[in-house]
Amino acid sequence: MADGAGLNGVAPRRAVATWRGGVSSWTDRYFGVLLVLPAVLLILALSIYPLVYSLWVSFVNYDFQIPGHAFVGWLNFQEVVADPVARASLANTAILSAAVVVLELALGLPLAMAMLKPFRGRGMIMPILLMPLFMSPVIVGQFWSLLLQRPFGPTDYLLGRLVGHPVTISWLTETPWKFVSIILADVWQWTPFMFVILLAGLTAISHELYEAADLDGVTPMQSLYHMTLPLLAPIILLAVTFRLLDAVKLFDVIYVMTGGGPGTSTYTASFYLYQTGFQEFHLSQATAGSWIFLALITLVIMALVRRLLRPEAA
Amino acid sequence: MAATTRLRPGAGRRLGFAVVRFGYIGGFLAFLLFPLYWMVVTSIKPTGDFLAIPPVWFPAEPTTVHYTAALFSYRGLQALINSLIIASATTVLSVVVGTLMGYSLARFNTGGQHLAFWVLSQRFLPAIAVVLPIFLLYRTYGLYDTHAGLILIYTVFTLPLTVWTMYAYFRQLPKELDDAARVDGCTRFQALWDVDLPLAAPGIVAAGVFAFVFAWTEFFFALNLTSQHAFTLPSIFRSFLGFQGAQYGESSALTVISLVPSIALGLLVQRHLVRGLTLGALQG
Repeated sequence: MADGAGLNGVAPRRAVATWRGGVSSWTDRYFGVLLVLPAVLLILALSIYPLVYSLWVSFVNYDFQIPGHAFVGWLNFQEVVADPVARASLANTAILSAAVVVLELALGLPLAMAMLKPFRGRGMIMPILLMPLFMSPVIVGQFWSLLLQRPFGPTDYLLGRLVGHPVTISWLTETPWKFVSIILADVWQWTPFMFVILLAGLTAISHELYEAADLDGVTPMQSLYHMTLPLLAPIILLAVTFRLLDAVKLFDVIYVMTGGGPGTSTYTASFYLYQTGFQEFHLSQATAGSWIFLALITLVIMALVRRLLRPEAA
Repeated sequence: MAATTRLRPGAGRRLGFAVVRFGYIGGFLAFLLFPLYWMVVTSIKPTGDFLAIPPVWFPAEPTTVHYTAALFSYRGLQALINSLIIASATTVLSVVVGTLMGYSLARFNTGGQHLAFWVLSQRFLPAIAVVLPIFLLYRTYGLYDTHAGLILIYTVFTLPLTVWTMYAYFRQLPKELDDAARVDGCTRFQALWDVDLPLAAPGIVAAGVFAFVFAWTEFFFALNLTSQHAFTLPSIFRSFLGFQGAQYGESSALTVISLVPSIALGLLVQRHLVRGLTLGALQG
């Protein structure tokens, strides 16, 4: 609209263009398109083309153990759907990602409220709270293993001192502790994510609103339930969406902490597909599985993201 | 409601709030810092202290042997150099390409909302969905286990971030600046280069840091697309698995080494963090 008017506005000057001006007016006219080309070509070559290629792989027999690429129809998809390990992995993914997102919200929201008003030392505490966001999840998994694993880690010793008798929990192999360990590592790293987004949301809520409420004798609890939470709701939804869409990809922490084990008990969807593709070399089955996974994620995205991220009309 | 009562919270209640508030902050800080402390201490502990009960909270004789071993015996130095090359190249490529696109989206509304959302949707694409075909294609085209291979895929996966960060940034700059430059006879490219880019410098720095941190910390692609040559710092941790215990010193040392640059850089652009994390959907 406004852009179109701007483009039309310069059109008359182009009429008197020389030959050199002709080239530059050509670049001027298609300037917008030229600028997006590199990015679009990169994404087409390294994301869209591989996706299409993988669709082909998932309908043929692409297996390093069997020569040839015979068309097999839906067979690969059927194999994944029928595989009990695949279903268990998907269930693990759903449960773990729901658990971490809920916990991170439950810990991050009070933290954001506690950090909202300025106090001495706040400027020093902020960087510490944000540090985990700049770490590799592999490393986070690594040092949580270090902390938990018997007999090297101090966790069992500390717990033993706390409860008064020796504690011998194998944190990375026993049920349910292996799940607790995975959740701990994820919550450690990503609660700051919830925190910093919710803090930005809380900062945006007008002070005058609270002052007015305070004058009217509204208690802090009342203002929390009737003002803060409703006003913050869109931001909470945004934070939860971003976090959830990353949490369902959970892989790194599993890889370092439990290796998917014992057996296949801590497989997530990503880990299952990785095992199937890169360890067992059933490439077709793995690509078929990743298409199913992608379809499931797309459903979540459709439901959440498009509604959330509609930017204001500039 | 109870407009007539007008009860101000008493001093005791106020103190109670403060205790809960700072108690919670303190508790959370302890939860964040304790694992980091343990890792740093492990990296300077003599191997003999690892199994001690009660645990050694600070070694009597700190040592740097794990650092030398990690760098030189476990190819940590090579991983460090690889990570630097790959993360820097990714940063440059992603920022250049992403800035151009972000500018185009903001100024000319190229491709409308569809193109912008198409790029955004890449942000949510699970790596597992493309890593298998990329692996097959890279083997065919000789990109497997090369720096270029990782740089290219990292660039694509950081583009949603750089494009949307710059998109949001350029949208804030008044369009009149461009129009004024055009009236003064600038070409569109000159308007971008001489007028808008200098103004967008803070956004470019922030986008660059986010791209760097992504490439520096990424594990999944590095694990599957490299082996003996182009391995990065995060992916080197695969070689520590299976040797439980004996390598704790070395792996902790490498952890410390790899944490320092990305945290230092990340905290530099703290102000832009929220915008980066939400791809411009929310201002920090």
